[in-house]
Amino acid sequence: MKSVSSTAKIILLVLTSVLILIMLSGCRGIFYIPGASYGYYIWEEDGSIYVEWSRDRVDSDFSGSISTDGKIAAYDLSEWEEEDQIEVSENKIEFSAALDEEDYSDGFSFNPRDYTYLEFDLKIDDEYDLARINLGSFLENPEENIFKVEEQYFDQLRERQWYKKHPFSEFFYKLYSNKYFTFVYLFILGIIIIEILRITVFIDKKRKMVNIAVSYAVLIAAEVCIYFILKFLVG
Amino acid sequence: MKIKLFFNNLGKALLTKDIFEDKVLSRKLYKYFLIGLLVRLIFLPFLYMRDMLSIYQRAAETVFTGNFGSDFHQMLTNLIHSAYLFIIKSVVPAISELSPILLEEDTWLSWVGFNSTYNVFTAVALFKILYLIFDLGCMFLILRLSFDDEPEKRLRVFKFWMFNPIVIFVLYIFARHDIIAVFATIVALLLAKKNRKYWAIAVLALGIAIRFFPIMLLPLFVLYLARSKKDYVVLSLVGVSGLAAVELFSFLSFGRSLIFSLMNTQFFNYLLWPKLELWPGGHGIIFIFIAVYVVIILSFLHVKKKSFDLLLNYGAMIYLTFLSLCFFHPQYVLWSVPFLVFLFVRRKSLVYYHWFQFVLVLILLLYWSPHGNTFMLATIDYRFFIYLPKANSVIQLFYDDANFVNIFRSIFTGVSIWMIYLIYKDNKRMLGNGLNNREYHKI
Repeated sequence: MKSVSSTAKIILLVLTSVLILIMLSGCRGIFYIPGASYGYYIWEEDGSIYVEWSRDRVDSDFSGSISTDGKIAAYDLSEWEEEDQIEVSENKIEFSAALDEEDYSDGFSFNPRDYTYLEFDLKIDDEYDLARINLGSFLENPEENIFKVEEQYFDQLRERQWYKKHPFSEFFYKLYSNKYFTFVYLFILGIIIIEILRITVFIDKKRKMVNIAVSYAVLIAAEVCIYFILKFLVG
Repeated sequence: MKIKLFFNNLGKALLTKDIFEDKVLSRKLYKYFLIGLLVRLIFLPFLYMRDMLSIYQRAAETVFTGNFGSDFHQMLTNLIHSAYLFIIKSVVPAISELSPILLEEDTWLSWVGFNSTYNVFTAVALFKILYLIFDLGCMFLILRLSFDDEPEKRLRVFKFWMFNPIVIFVLYIFARHDIIAVFATIVALLLAKKNRKYWAIAVLALGIAIRFFPIMLLPLFVLYLARSKKDYVVLSLVGVSGLAAVELFSFLSFGRSLIFSLMNTQFFNYLLWPKLELWPGGHGIIFIFIAVYVVIILSFLHVKKKSFDLLLNYGAMIYLTFLSLCFFHPQYVLWSVPFLVFLFVRRKSLVYYHWFQFVLVLILLLYWSPHGNTFMLATIDYRFFIYLPKANSVIQLFYDDANFVNIFRSIFTGVSIWMIYLIYKDNKRMLGNGLNNREYHKI
């Protein structure tokens, strides 16, 4: 029994670690590792828009432009090298910068003023790769090659509940849309757990049958709750 | 009354008479079974390595287009998966709906399409239930292989199988099919224990035809079961008959040799890559695994009293030698488990080394990054997990990733060799300090 409980502890520890890892990679304002992550990372902080990019130590060119119907008040470069280029006009930024084995990431930030939208046209090695363009926390991807971001977009993104963001949104959607499987699966897990309780905790109790009946009632209630929770989460 | 008798007989058949008739032991076994099953089911729908989909893609080609040669190198494995796929697609319409995705020739598109479907969890769970069935078979058969009059020790064997990290990882996280041939091997071992020599070798031959790995056990089986010179010849021939049958079938059906085709793959070369060059340029090479393997077989040959437990120990030594010296995929570690679980009862330290091996295997997954780590979570949300930074890339920021993994690979080899030494000591103890061999008696 002792070794069983230690096995259970190890499994619990592994599951918790996996969960923490998923949460860490998703819940921060922005999460990328220069020199390991691959793609564009765009977010807003204190009124400034940050555009940074990274690749896993492979030679590559990141180029594109950002235009707006407002004005670009100021800009700042990050990890910029001499050969990297940037041109900033009143309402447009054009850039071209290379990464290589030594150069893990580049980026810039700018202050847009009086604008209703920002239009991004971003390429990697002269090609569009929307799955590599990550907007805000939880790494949303744009749907069009040249995409627009409204003024309030990052605020709206921030306000979006965690369960509406990747990977949770997709996970809950799959569980809900495949509900017959989900509830049969959960029911089987529940039966096994009740059986474990029956032969360990309930075995010496006087009201064994009552305990088992209550457990099954709890299981059914839990299933109903999970149904409504999933329905709410998927919304 | 008849129903009660039926369940009593079923209980005895499943749990063995000793355990079934002891209330405490049978309750413990049931508890281990339930907890082990719970752990297996938790992983069942969510995780898999991309190769599982490839196996079912080839099976789909057989089932939906009638192409029986879709998996030339693993014909029997493909037949088993095809038969299973045929059954589940007949019962669960969702699996039939997946046929365009499974038949997609571009494996990347197929993988992305599969992970995007709303019923991916159903499909993954159903695909893995095949392995669960064989796992269930193994866990109840393995009870019978040793410790005949010691039900408590048998129960511990069961526990070590149920909570074995390698079994759980390979079958329910990595989702590979080696358990099918492992099951055939355990059946062969059981038959060997009962001295059904021809049946034992015939089933082993079937296992060899399924996965080839049990061929490493064939000499041990022949040496253990043969009672006369004729037996050596007949049993050896029966042992390779499965392979010969598959070879004949492949030659007649597809006009090409399966064995030579396999020998030209990298998988066979895993056995040959560790080598000592005696002469530069290809001539005069010693293949280290083959040399050590021959030493192990010869040492078994020279044991006078070949007990069944000793056969199990030698099986463990052979597979650990393979893992120590050759490049391996994580699922190959499973081959050592049916032999090690008995040793765990006799030598508890081996349990800890085995867990250490498992931790090292998790690190060795970097060899297959990202397929062997973040991609395994792609069912949950592939768009999120495939764009996570690769573990190798993170390590490369600080140190050469190949060297990093190879350091742990070397530790794995060291641990495995130490385990072999502990098994050797167990052999010696079993043989009464190793004095009961032919050479000694000759002296």
